[in-house]
Amino acid sequence: MKFTWKWLLDHLETDRNLSEIIETLPKIGLEVSSVVNLAENLKSFVSVEIIDVKKHPNADKLNVCKVFDGKNTFNVVCGAPNVKLGMKSVFANIGTFIPGLNLKLKKGKIRGEESFGMLCSEKELTLSENHNGIIELESSSELGLSVSDIMDLNDPIIEIEITPNRGDCLGVRGIARDLAAAGQGNLKDLEVDFNDGEFDSIINWHVDLDEDEKYLCPKIFGRSFTNLKNDESPLWLKNRLLAVDQRPISSIVDITNYIMIDIGRPLHAYDIGKIKGTTLKVSKSKKGDKFSALNGNTYELDDNMLVISDEHSVDDLAGIMGGQRTGVTENTTRMFLEAAIFDPVSIANTGRELNLHSDARYRFERGLDYNSPEIAMHYAAAMVNKICGGKISKIVNFKLEQQQRIIKFDPDTVYQLTGVKIENELSKSILENLGFKIVSIENIWDITPPSWRPDIDGIADIVEEIIRINGYEKIPSIKLTRSNYIAKPAMSIKHRQAFFASRILASRGYNEVITFSFLNKTMADQFNGGEFALNLVNPISSELTDMRPSIIPNLLLAAQKNVNIGAQDLSFFEVGPIFKGDSPNEQISTITGIRYGDKIKKDWKKEAVQFDFYDIKLDVIKALDAIGVPKNSLKVFQDAPDYFHPGRSAVFKIGKNIIANFGEIHPEIGDTFGLNKSAIVFEIFYENIPLPKRNKISRPMLKISNLQTVTREFAFLIDAEIESEKVCQIAKSVNKDLITDVIILDVYKGEKIPQNKKSIAIKVTIQPIQETLTDTALEELSANLINAIDKKLFGSLREI
Amino acid sequence: MVSELKEDLQSLLNNITIGIHNSKTISELENIRINSLGKKGSVTLYLRNIRDYDIEIKKEIGSYLNDIKNQINKLILDKKNFFKKEHLNEKLKLEKIDISLTPYEAEIGTLHPLSRTIEELCAIFADMGFSIVDGPDIESDYYNFTALNIPEEHPARQEHDTFYFQPDINGQRKVLRTHTSPVQIRTMEKIDLKNFNEIRYIIPGRTYRSDHDATHSPMFHQCEGLVLGKNINMGHLKGCLIEFCRTYFNEDNLPVRFRPSYFPFTEPSAEVDIGCKKENDGSLVIGEGEEWLEILGSGMVHPRVLQGVGIDPSKYQGFAFGMGLERLTMLKYGIPDLRPFYDSDLRWLKHYGFIPVDNPSLHSGLNGVFS
Repeated sequence: MKFTWKWLLDHLETDRNLSEIIETLPKIGLEVSSVVNLAENLKSFVSVEIIDVKKHPNADKLNVCKVFDGKNTFNVVCGAPNVKLGMKSVFANIGTFIPGLNLKLKKGKIRGEESFGMLCSEKELTLSENHNGIIELESSSELGLSVSDIMDLNDPIIEIEITPNRGDCLGVRGIARDLAAAGQGNLKDLEVDFNDGEFDSIINWHVDLDEDEKYLCPKIFGRSFTNLKNDESPLWLKNRLLAVDQRPISSIVDITNYIMIDIGRPLHAYDIGKIKGTTLKVSKSKKGDKFSALNGNTYELDDNMLVISDEHSVDDLAGIMGGQRTGVTENTTRMFLEAAIFDPVSIANTGRELNLHSDARYRFERGLDYNSPEIAMHYAAAMVNKICGGKISKIVNFKLEQQQRIIKFDPDTVYQLTGVKIENELSKSILENLGFKIVSIENIWDITPPSWRPDIDGIADIVEEIIRINGYEKIPSIKLTRSNYIAKPAMSIKHRQAFFASRILASRGYNEVITFSFLNKTMADQFNGGEFALNLVNPISSELTDMRPSIIPNLLLAAQKNVNIGAQDLSFFEVGPIFKGDSPNEQISTITGIRYGDKIKKDWKKEAVQFDFYDIKLDVIKALDAIGVPKNSLKVFQDAPDYFHPGRSAVFKIGKNIIANFGEIHPEIGDTFGLNKSAIVFEIFYENIPLPKRNKISRPMLKISNLQTVTREFAFLIDAEIESEKVCQIAKSVNKDLITDVIILDVYKGEKIPQNKKSIAIKVTIQPIQETLTDTALEELSANLINAIDKKLFGSLREI
Repeated sequence: MVSELKEDLQSLLNNITIGIHNSKTISELENIRINSLGKKGSVTLYLRNIRDYDIEIKKEIGSYLNDIKNQINKLILDKKNFFKKEHLNEKLKLEKIDISLTPYEAEIGTLHPLSRTIEELCAIFADMGFSIVDGPDIESDYYNFTALNIPEEHPARQEHDTFYFQPDINGQRKVLRTHTSPVQIRTMEKIDLKNFNEIRYIIPGRTYRSDHDATHSPMFHQCEGLVLGKNINMGHLKGCLIEFCRTYFNEDNLPVRFRPSYFPFTEPSAEVDIGCKKENDGSLVIGEGEEWLEILGSGMVHPRVLQGVGIDPSKYQGFAFGMGLERLTMLKYGIPDLRPFYDSDLRWLKHYGFIPVDNPSLHSGLNGVFS
């Protein structure tokens, strides 16, 4: 909502200055977003007369003019179509900064003709978007004066953000009223010449709605005007409208726009000559009705939209936009003016369905002052009469009585809800200054909100009005003390698991990323997603249409982006949601990671080593270990989803629960992301980790032996198909007390090894517990181990 | 006789001492040892010869000879140790390496600045007794709007730029939550009023609006807060949020301003601004200064919202607040642009990210080692 300082002073009598008012506005809930004084940029623009116009010798569309500022004459080349001899316009000398072009004028030669300045359009002065020609000043304008004085532009423009509940402040008067209530001055009386009219209105209303639907149009007023002259508006009116971004059109339209900004009351003007018949009908549309709006678009209406029509057809979308057919033009001499109250819900629904925005809709949706149609009829009539002349008819109207809204209010609520102690008398006077009517009965107040505040509908609203004017700074600051003194973890187990895993991964070299939860359909399909229910109706782009079924594609994209700008080795992880369906339990939190490129870079000390399956396997094991999943509780399987390399991927499970998928991405998918090395990825489904039944804080007692450990190495020949890890498991199981560790030293296939076989070398660590093991005991242990491998894997001992 | 012998021996010792002193190698030294103390060595010969002397002389010369023998042994050992030491030093000199070299090692990873902010918020609010909860990103119209007192035709809906999903067979379409506020409803629905005293929750999470430009991202993060109890009033809201702002921005005297505003689900509502100063280069410095910066929205939970989840607003009241986490992060850490938050650019992540051992907490500081 934009208004000017002088405009505000039309309604507010105050000794405060601009900056005091600017400071007060946000304190009462009217946030100031900008304050601009156009005059400050326009000091060096002066009024001149064009005293000579000649065609440019080398350019058809240009003229070479001489302009006179009262003292000096300047040569100017001008391309405006409306330039003519004797016209008064706005001139900028060399060196002037042109705000609309964002440049400083230099002396120039345009196609060989020297130019010592510029004749300016409204756009060049940032007065409006109008760039159709240079500004034409009144012929009576004095020469050599600053344009801001001549055009009365020395008036700061204030823009405030109006929250959806404050429709009453979508007019300058409403803002003045709020400021007055906040002690910033007095609200002036609205100067209204009540004029009952000389003749019966040419046009009458017919509200064609069922009784139970009359609420859609509880009030509609109108009156006719004749013998009008609908010329251009006077300069003061045009300037006010320009200052608040309204384009001046013609006197009648400008007056309706002016009143909308001035008192927040939208009006609509019909050309009586174009109305078929003498009745305008308020009714609900039928599906298929067509309507050509003033904005030049034609809309096909649905059922139940509130419309106004004449005998011909619909030509007004109530409260949203008037029609092309009956709109006023500069030739209009007879006009019918409408001021109504329409149901905000109906207006909002219609506007949304047609995607039609207007200043009127904006105001109707937020609720209008129920008493405003009557006042507007007189207020506008006087203004039309003053500017366009003519005669005014009597008023025709339809109205329902407004239901009284009375809110029962206990003034103690103010303290209970806000902690501020305010004397009842003060609360009362604040409310009364805001226009509320109060009847006090035994400490309970019956409060009637003012007609312009349809948003007030409960106790809390009234409390807000009181403390808003009293000042939020008077609310005490009370410490929120802890209610329980045993500090519980604020994070749930799930949060903590993600938190711990993140730290492990980052310390292993991963950089955390955050990527969008949506991606394109192709990727969603590639990763087994793309369900209809997860497809956005209104995506921001075709790349972001579907909720992701996995974070892996996001990370592949991230890798691709970085590789494209020259990065070579990458490790990324993300903690975030994936989506299997649209219900809350189908949103799954995962920790997903990618490694790409070299694990060890070649330097003067080392040879390069690329990341592979085993690196990511370790990452997963370490991350899981950190979040309470010991390695030995995991079972590894080779049935990872099909976006993995079938031979170089695996799944960790606990029971049937999939805890993690990991391995090389399928080369076909890697190709689609333009990655020429293999990307290694993992996804941890940490919500699938079974929670311990009881949270043990104390640790089992540590048993340490002081005896020296013994190691023994063995090599076995086993079938190539057997998982090597099995050898370790069997070796360990031979004596769980004594054998503390088994490490695979080597896995070898090839020369000297029969086909379909492999050699596995292991190192077994034996920890004696009570006494040093004798040679015999060690031999026995070794023999048992060899036996076990032979029995379970048909493995034979091999000489090392 | 005795004194003559002693003189001879003394001069022999002198010669041997000089020999040891002048020896240059271990083998030279070994020769000296053999020539003096060996089987046929000069000192050994004397020892052998004293058998012929009187018992008295034998005693005296014998002990003298032993002394000499011990002296020579010590001299040889010392010299040997000297040679060893010298040899080691030579060897160490040769073992010198180029200390200017550093092998390459992949750097330690980083945590995203947004995760960092969320953790800082958790630390601050945990200290005030809050717990952290979350809710789904895909919401029904009811939780995202209606239950929050934003009916279909409410003008506030238009400001939300909502993402919609395909309608189901009943024509119902789900939305991507446009704010974290629906989780307020979900948490309040779970309250067991029979055993209810008070709740304090914060809800950080992803939120979505169909808006994409330099200052808007279709996905962004918010943190919601909710305190509900019997006697929670707007003074508590003020106390809690002032403490939060000052702790988060690490400014004891940070000016915090509350001004009236409007949110459909709170009444009265307050927008919260913090003080700041605009530097000449256009950058902002948080703290005392001329300017105000809006950082969060708040208010007392609207009675209609409470009624909607079956809570009697005349018995329970509380406050809620919400803030944009990208904005908080940018302000605190001087990150100029929003878009790179989601771009996964390694250079940005390394520059603005946090090392994993820097664990924001109230005891170790919210702002790194030097906080």
